[in-house]
Parts: sequence; structure tokens; C-alpha cells
Amino acid sequence: MYVQIKDLCFGYKNAKNLTIHHFNLDIEKGEIISILGESGSGKSTVLRLLCGLETPSKGIIKIGSETMTDERTFVLPEKRGIGMVFQDYALFPHMTVYENVQFGLKHWKRKERKNRVHEVLELVNMSSYAKRYPHELSGGQQQRIALARSLAPEPSLLLLDEPFSNLDADLQIKIRSELKEIIKQTGTTSIFVTHDREDSRAIADRIITMRDGAAHDWDSLCTTTRAEDEVRQPELVRLK
Amino acid sequence: MSRLNLLRKLPGYMNIWSILSLAIVILILIPNMTILFNFFTQKAENWNHIQEYILPDLLKNTGLLIVFTGILTIIIGTSLAWIVSAYEFPMKKFFKWGLILPLAIPPYIAGYTYNGILNYTGVIQTTLRNNWDIKVDQVYFNILNLPGAVFIFTLFLFPYVYTITRAFLANQSASLIENARLLGRSPVDIFFRVVLPISRGAIVGGVSLVLLEVLNDYGVVQYFGVPTFSTAIFQTWFGMNDLNSAIKLSATLMFIVFAILTLEKVLRGRKKYASTTAKARPLHPTRLIGWKAWGAFGYCLFIFLLGFLIPFVQLIDWMLLTFEKIASPEFTTLIWNSLLVSFVGALLIVLFAVIIANFSRMHQSALSKSAAKVTILGYSIPGAVIAVGISTVFIGIDSGLSRFYESTGLESRLFLSTSLVILISAYIIRFLAIGYNSIESGFDKIGNKYTEASRMLGMNMTRTFFKVDLKMIKAPLISGFLLAFIEIIKELPLTLILRPFNFGTLSTNAFKYASDEQIHEAALASIIIVVISAIAVFVFHQVLEKESN
Repeated sequence: MYVQIKDLCFGYKNAKNLTIHHFNLDIEKGEIISILGESGSGKSTVLRLLCGLETPSKGIIKIGSETMTDERTFVLPEKRGIGMVFQDYALFPHMTVYENVQFGLKHWKRKERKNRVHEVLELVNMSSYAKRYPHELSGGQQQRIALARSLAPEPSLLLLDEPFSNLDADLQIKIRSELKEIIKQTGTTSIFVTHDREDSRAIADRIITMRDGAAHDWDSLCTTTRAEDEVRQPELVRLK
Repeated sequence: MSRLNLLRKLPGYMNIWSILSLAIVILILIPNMTILFNFFTQKAENWNHIQEYILPDLLKNTGLLIVFTGILTIIIGTSLAWIVSAYEFPMKKFFKWGLILPLAIPPYIAGYTYNGILNYTGVIQTTLRNNWDIKVDQVYFNILNLPGAVFIFTLFLFPYVYTITRAFLANQSASLIENARLLGRSPVDIFFRVVLPISRGAIVGGVSLVLLEVLNDYGVVQYFGVPTFSTAIFQTWFGMNDLNSAIKLSATLMFIVFAILTLEKVLRGRKKYASTTAKARPLHPTRLIGWKAWGAFGYCLFIFLLGFLIPFVQLIDWMLLTFEKIASPEFTTLIWNSLLVSFVGALLIVLFAVIIANFSRMHQSALSKSAAKVTILGYSIPGAVIAVGISTVFIGIDSGLSRFYESTGLESRLFLSTSLVILISAYIIRFLAIGYNSIESGFDKIGNKYTEASRMLGMNMTRTFFKVDLKMIKAPLISGFLLAFIEIIKELPLTLILRPFNFGTLSTNAFKYASDEQIHEAALASIIIVVISAIAVFVFHQVLEKESN
């Protein structure tokens, strides 16, 4: 398995219950996974744990052959080589599109860097916007730049946090097929988090539903990890 | 598990930010800790005498000043805040910021200015004497007493209550007040039944700032002859040469400060100034007509005249009278000295504030939270107390370094204690909170997402800070710098105690002339301070207004 998440646990400070408890997930290389859940189900927290912005209290995360976190190790987020598209894109407002995309390429040689920026801008169809500032772009354009920026350093894993929540409905349908195409072109293993069933169906190779901090496979709802979750199952089925 | 966990988290914590933050926190804590520690351990020769004969008076005066200034600033501050936010009347736009202007006049300058206006040779009595041959009983015109000090504190500190309460009313209260109107309550009723209770948190926050300023004051109480802790600390330290008694007095004053801070917490309850969840809708002011409009106008004008225009015009008059005599190369040196210490102090404050603010937002740990708390603590400790604490520490450092001084051939045994280093360190301790608050709110506004995005793209915390964070908090950085700069230029007690021999600033110069009964000569230095502060007040008002729109 390319990505292995084992027995992941995490609780925010001051929170009584664990936000994530005993979360398990294996992902194959090149797979697009969708984590589907209501707000507060802990789905975004899983992404933050994966990329190292939060430290799990327990559990193992491995990407490729490298251990990102277990009981002894914790790799800092900037050392993980994971790309992330934030919910509101977080494009640096004081940099142009070009500078934003180039930001993650500081270890690249100058010439390669330039080529790479143009390559990914080409990929998302935004080459002519290189000199614009983020506030001069529409929401959909900003999202494509955010995607280009996180793909530029050739991440081992791409995370997308509610990538469509800031787009209006028409755009959403158009962009999600585009998004799938772009990601598949690069062959990047990806996880994206959403609350929208349609989004999941349109993009993902596999869908994971989340409830109260644990994962449930879309196809086999019965494989729950904790006994108390089984009590809640009828609810889950009804939702489906 | 937990030890492994700690070991695992260590790389995230062990960086330049946390180490520097810790160092700064220690710098702030040590002087204050020294005082508390010495209070319980050291013996002081005059302490028994002080306890028996002086302390009761100090407590009584301090208590009276606090209670009356507190009550009066609440009355004036909240009533003005309500009138300005809820009604439309002539010149309201001007009063909105004009009523903050009294803050530009430091109370000690206001104190001797009013005394100069009201005393026997002042403008009022001379006019009455020369034009109408009226001689008045001096008792009615003598303000050099406790009620006089309350008058000065009230007039020149009420804007703390006014600004905080007005900001609250303007942004947070619209729906409640409009509902009360629809339910048929009269304006007076609404003020007492709705406005006062809901803005309790804001009022308490403002008035506690006022009280801390009163406790910090040395200039007014010294000039007005009202013995308080600040003057007693000066007296035991320099008059009786008894540092240990000064330490004990300082510690007692610190307990009073802690009591006020605790009381503030209790009174404010769990409410903060603002409920941030609901989208704030501004309160729509009602237009007043007829005598009501002129009444509101008159009240605002009255306070504005007393709190700014009258003393300001008087100072200008005196300045013109003495300009040629005072403006000299020596005076230019004073200006440079003031600018120098304020610039260096404010620069270091902003630097330290950025380090701590960045650290505490990146790590939501107990350590980072207490770092933020300690930073703010310095602002509530009165200047005289900080001076005592930091002197004790620096004298200790100097005696530790005495061997080193000898070997380098330095003559002074108290090299650090008599240098600018001690003065600027004291400024940092006292005013770090001002820079910190400004920068922290800047960080709050941008949130963590840009930083996180940068780290996901492979930049570590320090590179992220210089490439992303710093560029996005430029405005709060500048405003934090300016605010600290102005506070230092105005500052009196710390500067008086800790300045190197023969080193004067605008504020010490103004105070020196005033204490020598040369009130007119104090005007030039005072007016420079007031004008710089007034410009700052105006600029900040503009910036805040722009932001809230």
C-alpha cells in the first residue's frame, strides 16, 4: 500500500472527546480517495494530521516507504512533501500568480523552476494569467491556481479540503470533471474532503464516509472499528 | 508514551522563536519577581515607621483617587459614548474623534496647566482683578489637592472608557437597542435598562485601564501634593535612600494592581467586549432636533473644551511667551534624546512583540499562552514599581560584572545601571503589551492559513515568517510601533528614575520646569508632546473608521 494510516487518534485541546478515534485507511498509488462526511465529523482534521499541521496522539502514518509519524517520529509539515489545496485557497495576496506557483520550488534549479511553473500553469489552463494578482481572478481561477501551486513541487500526496465549497453550483459541476482530469494526468495520489455526495461520486475512485471521527467504507458500511459505532448504524444506512 | 510524545514533538518546539520568546518572557518576569521575592525576604530599616505612619495615608489617598476617578470616568465616558453612537447632532462627526483628544495630553501636563490657569497669577484671576477688580477667595481656585487630582484624572483619562464603550455600542448593540425602541421604551429607560447592562464588559475594561493609569501616575500626585505609592516609592528610595522599603511599597502596590485585575475579571464575567459570532450590524443613529440637539452638542463641547481646547490654547500661549528663551541648542538635544529613546524602544518593542505573537499563534500550548499573558502583565505594573525592580536586577548584574569592569578599565562600577540600556529595558517591559496587542490582532485577522500553505510548500517557520507573514502584517506592525513610540515620548516616572545622569527628555524637562514653578517655560516641551500625540490620535481614528467600514 502506498499510503498507510493505522489506528490514528487525535483530540483537540479542551475538547472532551477524541475528534479522530482509531482511524484506518490504506490508499494505493495514483488512487483518488474522497472522504465524505458532515461538518464536525473530523474529516478535515484527518487532512491536517496527514500533512503534519496537527500532531496525532496515537497512530502511524506512512507514505511510500517513509514513516511520517509514529510513536517516535514526527516529520515537520514542510519536510513531508505533501501538497494541499486549502478550502479558501490561501493564495498569498502579495504575490502574483507566477510567484505563488513558484513558491514551493525553492530547491529547484532556476531554469527548471521556470519551466515547471509554465508547465503546471499550462496544465490548469491559466498560462496567460501569470502576472495577475490573486484578487484579480475569479473564484474558479483562484482555485485552479491553488491546484497548480500545490502540484508544482510534484507532491507525493495531494490533499484537497472542500475544494468546491467556495464556487457557485454551475461552476462546481464544470470544475470537478476538470479537476479529476488534471489530477489523473499527473497521476498524483489524492485525498479530498467534502460534504457533497455528488462531488464524491464524480471524482473519487473510492469513497470513505466519516462519522464521529472514524472511517467507514462506502461499500461495506458494516466494517466499523468500534462497537459503539454499530449502535448508530441504522442512522447511517438511512442517510444513504 | 508521554515522554516519547514529548521527544517527538520537540523538533516542532525547539526553534529560534520559542527560545527567543522564552528569553523575552524571562526579561519581563525577573524584575517583577525580584520585588515579590524581596518583599518576603528582605528587611527594611524604615518599614515599621512607614507601615505605621505613612502607609495608611497612602492607602486612603489611593483608594479615594481610584473610587472617584473610576465613578466619574464611567459617568462621563459611557454617557458620551451613548450620545455619540445613538444620536445625530451638530458637529457629531468631529466629536467622535475630538473626544479622544484628551488622551493626547498627559495628565501631568494637564495638571500644571490647569493650576497655571486657575492660580493667583493665572488668566482667570488676573482678568477678574484687572477688568472688574474682583478678588476671589483662593480656596475656590486651588486645585492642588485630592479633588483636583481626581478632576485632572477624570478629564484626561475618560477617553479610555469612551472609546471602548463606543466601539462596542456602535458594532454590537444595534438589534437589542432597536428592539427596545420598538417595545416603546424611552431613551433614558433604554440607556439604563439596556445600554448599561449590555456594555458592562466594555465599561469595566475601559475603567480598569483608567485605574491602572492612575496607579502609574507620578507627575500629577507629586505636583498636587497628594501622597500615593508612586511618590512614596520615590521618597523612600531617593529621600531616605532605603531601597528595601521602596521594594516593600512596590510589592504592596503590585498587590493592589492584582486586586484590580482580578476584580475586572470577575465584573466582566464570561463576557468579552464583543460577541464575534453574529455578523455585526452598525447602530443607526437617530437625529436629534431642537433643544435636545443643542443639549447633546453643548455637553460634548463642554467636555471637549475642558479636556483639550482650553489647556491646549493655554499651552500655546505660554509657549509663544517663552519660545525665544527656551528654544536653544540644549532644547534640541532634548528633542533628539526623546526621539532616540522612543525610536529604539519602540523598534525593540515591535521586534519582541512579533517574536512572541508569532510563537504563541503557532503553538497553542500552556507555555505560549502564559508568554502572551506575561507580555500584557508589564502594562499593568506602575512605572515606579518597574523602576525599582529593574534597578535591583541591574545593580545585581553590575556587581556581578565588577571584575570585568575593572579589567577593561571602566571607571563606573554601575555601568549598566547608569546607562540607557536600563531605561530602554524598562520601556520594553512596560509597553510591550501595546506593540503585542496591535500585532496579535493583525495575526488574528490573517489567520493561520497562509502560514500553513507556505509550510505545505516546503518553507520552514522562519522562512515562512519573512516571506509571507511579515509582509501581511505590515500595517499592524507600523501602528504598534507608533503607539509604543508615543507612549514612550509621554512617559514620566520611569524616565525620571532611570535616565542616565544629565540625560533629559521632553517629558522630564517639562516636569522639571513645572516643579520649579516655571510653568510657562514647561510649555514648549509639553506642546511638542501633545501635538505628536494628537496627530497619532487623529491618524488612528481615521484608520479604525476605515477598517470598520
